[in-house]
Amino acid sequence: MENTLDNVRSQMRKGLLEYCILSILDKREAYASVIIEELKSVGMIVVEGTLYPLLIRQKNQGLLAYRWEESTQGPPRKYYVLTDKGREQLAQMDAAWNELVESIQTLKK
Amino acid sequence: MKKVLNISLGNRTFTLEEDAYARLSEYLKHFRTRLAGTDGVPNAQNAEVMEDLEARIAELFLQEVGTEGRVVRLDLVERVTRQLGMPDGTPEDADGANGSAGASTSTFTGTVPKRLYRDYDNRRIGGVCAGLAVYLDIDVVVMRVLMLVALLFGTVGFWIYVICWIALPNAVTPAQKCDMYGYPITAENLARFAKSQYK
Repeated sequence: MENTLDNVRSQMRKGLLEYCILSILDKREAYASVIIEELKSVGMIVVEGTLYPLLIRQKNQGLLAYRWEESTQGPPRKYYVLTDKGREQLAQMDAAWNELVESIQTLKK
Repeated sequence: MKKVLNISLGNRTFTLEEDAYARLSEYLKHFRTRLAGTDGVPNAQNAEVMEDLEARIAELFLQEVGTEGRVVRLDLVERVTRQLGMPDGTPEDADGANGSAGASTSTFTGTVPKRLYRDYDNRRIGGVCAGLAVYLDIDVVVMRVLMLVALLFGTVGFWIYVICWIALPNAVTPAQKCDMYGYPITAENLARFAKSQYK
């Protein structure tokens, strides 16, 4: 029982992860570690490895772009930014999310 | 004392102990395999993912060892790989690890000449018999019985043992253990011994 519950929860998180990434980058551009920190602080990811394939995929879909920025300590960092297409997608996801929440609330009434 | 290797990771140089290096290569290999297995991501994309991943590993190493040339040890690699996990969020050794371990035992055994060491892990006294047994590919028990018989026939056996004890190096590092068993020194083989040492 516990296993299936865990499974459902991780599936839910996984489905929302791309939405989360776009939301974080909507506030400000960030490099991977910052995105990871934020996702971890709200318990959206357990291991970091899951994030990298998503970032690259979203970049290749044209939702994100990145630029290199010099860092005071260490090599240049890859800063991810939201593109216009990404912003558009985020708006659609926001709508879809609100719809979902509403649906569930209606069902529970 | 351990051998170290210099590697470049995310445009930085790091010094890794041998077993830490073996573990890290193994991890990266598992990650890459798993990446290829998930949702059909094209290959060019995978290369980018690996690049980002390596940059992150470099960052985490840097936080721990600082810039003053400290060495990356196995426990740090273990910690970092646990934190990073696999691309699909499942445990690393769920299936990919088993597959590659099976492959390595079949392909990477007995292709280079063995070297004679004392096998301290399986020692009774000084590991001489255990080492000889590995070298001659016979059972340790047979080797020990032979040695006891030699002892019964005067002191020759005793002196052989003492000389071997003094003359033979002890197989301590994963690389020496590979040598002892005649395995080529590959990341997988090193990792195999590194793990047994770590536990």
